[in-house]
Amino acid sequence: MHIVKQLMAIPGVIAAGEYAYRGDRFSYEGALTEEFARMASIVCRANTLSVNMQAEIFESFAENCGCRPVQGWIVRGSQITVCAVGNYFSFIENRDELLNDVMTIMRAKVGDVQDDLLASLYARLGGDTKEALY
Amino acid sequence: MMELPGALAAFTYNDRGALQSHVLREGTELTPQVLDLLARSCVANLAIASMEASGWEALTGQGGFQPLKGISVVGLEWSVVANGNRGVVVKNRDADYEAAFNAVQTA
Repeated sequence: MHIVKQLMAIPGVIAAGEYAYRGDRFSYEGALTEEFARMASIVCRANTLSVNMQAEIFESFAENCGCRPVQGWIVRGSQITVCAVGNYFSFIENRDELLNDVMTIMRAKVGDVQDDLLASLYARLGGDTKEALY
Repeated sequence: MMELPGALAAFTYNDRGALQSHVLREGTELTPQVLDLLARSCVANLAIASMEASGWEALTGQGGFQPLKGISVVGLEWSVVANGNRGVVVKNRDADYEAAFNAVQTA
């Protein structure tokens, strides 16, 4: 089953989707409008790039410290949590054990993000992964 | 915080992100220098997340984000979970994110 459909089958998952590293392409299911899903995709892409940059800095101080490549991030709100793993995101309610379940599924389905995350994400668009990404 | 499943390090930092205190699990690859950088990134990420949450709520009318209860960055082998002035690093394999977020809530 596709990861987004699998996530949406879990009670308490508000919305889930996939975003592209480059460009405006995204897809989603759940309780978001098209415009809000587009905004969510942009936020997720920006945060993913930001934490990848931070991890590169950490590793320059401690090689093989276990932070790279970054798999994702979580923002825990008072009632809603946003999870991003690879180029998938989900908005979930703060229910007991839901965050752990969603993170387990997202990590299992996306798998460990291989080195060179950006090239990996761009490759999904069929782009030239040798092209400079910055 | 070091009693959390898979905890590798726990630390506190000031509002500018400077490391104030820390505990490292013996044998971990993490160093005080990395923890200091982590603490600074936690302050930055919390500020960015707060800005995004505030903007999202204002634009969409969807509540439920503020006040934030923390952020986590999930690395290859470990995750850092932070809120306020405290953070904890847990092994991904053993991570209980909900317990970690609960542990970093300020009293």
